[in-house]
Amino acid sequence: MAGRIPSGFIKSALHNGVGRYVNQCQRITLKFCKEHGDSRGMRDFIEQELLDFTRSNPGVVMYLQPRRHRKPVIVAEYLNGYKENLYVPNYPKDEICKWVEHLRCKQGMTPMRLRKYQHTDNPSIQGIWNPFTNKDPSANVTTYPNPNVRVSAPESATDRLLKLAQELREKDN
Amino acid sequence: MASFSGMCTCGQVLNKSRVFLNRISPSTVTAHRGIHSRKRHIKPLLLQLYNRRIKEGPVPEEPRSSWLNWNFDAELYAFGKRLGEEFTDSTLKKAFTHRSFVEKEQSKIQDSFEGDEGLLDFQSNEDLISSGMTLISDYIKAYLRHHYPSFPEEGISAVHDYLTTDELLAYIALNIGIKDLILSADFPASEETLSKTFQAVVGALAHDQGMERAELFVQDFVLTQLIGKDINEMWSIVNPMGVLVNILQKQERGGPEPRLLFQSGQKSILSVYVVGIYSDKELIGQAPGETPTIAEEMAAVDALKRLFSTEDCRTPLSYGDKGRKLHIDRNSENPKLQNYVELKEVEEASS
Repeated sequence: MAGRIPSGFIKSALHNGVGRYVNQCQRITLKFCKEHGDSRGMRDFIEQELLDFTRSNPGVVMYLQPRRHRKPVIVAEYLNGYKENLYVPNYPKDEICKWVEHLRCKQGMTPMRLRKYQHTDNPSIQGIWNPFTNKDPSANVTTYPNPNVRVSAPESATDRLLKLAQELREKDN
Repeated sequence: MASFSGMCTCGQVLNKSRVFLNRISPSTVTAHRGIHSRKRHIKPLLLQLYNRRIKEGPVPEEPRSSWLNWNFDAELYAFGKRLGEEFTDSTLKKAFTHRSFVEKEQSKIQDSFEGDEGLLDFQSNEDLISSGMTLISDYIKAYLRHHYPSFPEEGISAVHDYLTTDELLAYIALNIGIKDLILSADFPASEETLSKTFQAVVGALAHDQGMERAELFVQDFVLTQLIGKDINEMWSIVNPMGVLVNILQKQERGGPEPRLLFQSGQKSILSVYVVGIYSDKELIGQAPGETPTIAEEMAAVDALKRLFSTEDCRTPLSYGDKGRKLHIDRNSENPKLQNYVELKEVEEASS
């Protein structure tokens, strides 16, 4: 039986973005063949796009690793130690651009099924509930009915209906 | 691949044999059962290799720097850029170089050139560690005092100690990519080494960019660790009611009077008592508990929280844009709890 996909909750490393934003992708290695056809897109990417990419993302270290007659692969390493390999044989340059950008923007979370799309460590801000939560102790020494304490609405629904009926009756007369 | 020109055939054959040897797993072995076109010696061989691999245990971790794709200078440059800071190369390199590494390199050189001391321009990071740690420590305390002006000094120290443990600093160091860059004799780097390197990086930043940038760095990476944490849990007061008596006395207010506000479910396992504490007929704290005694103690803790302005509904700490606009007074110091306790003891002694 194949292993189950692990499940969990969404999480950010070191409360990223609260103080400042740190891009979580730390290095990308492009492995490709210098002569094989299935690395064509990767070679085009390296020739035409790589310098712009490195200029706009100085925090990501790029390595190029030519290997003879093997499939081209993008290896992205993240700050939390996670590493992702993406095989891109016969991919055109444009698609490789998109995949490199995709890997750069990831935060390196282990792939998992998210149980919910939101998460909090503190589900309650009022603490443990008890029957007297938010009850004012002055209620203990108040005598009812009290004009200062509004126990129910000033006018009940029945009263309101009766009033409406009375108004209609007066109009008819 | 098959449609590719004949030039590639040799490579393919080589690839195939390599793939075969690489795929040493039980699934491969069982998958080929019954295929008689395969050589019969292959299965026992693969099984043997697989079992040997299992017996050998997991492969020990290799330092990232031993890989082919590793350029230390590029990594150093990217480290600073990633965190949005401008470091000088030499200072940053020094921050990552530990004394143990320098000693190891020196002994290597002495072994290879007997008697010759060699020309080593490595500088170790001890001064950066100490300057970084002082800066981290001072800034954390000043920042906490600014946000919790009524919180006693002992509590500030407890939160400071929590934030400067090796464990927490090592966790931060791991998550900003310090681990791979460390030059130290121990591998994998211990928590202590990671934590010290983080301190050295802060020291290096203060050296290159000035105190202010370094302090904002500490605010962004260390102080944000307080998000979602309750500072009251980091510092436990032994006798909350006694402390409350002392503090109220010092503030010349009436002594605390515990009163039962509500109760329900007595003599059942779900009993609840809510005790309120009054001073000069004013409610200064209340809390529920299973017994009146527990509730009274918790109410005293609640009253103290309100006196120290550390209640649950307090304003969040300032980070990001708000944190940039803080004007922190470095010389202020919070009142010490010790003072209140001493006051009581002196009075008892005199009476």
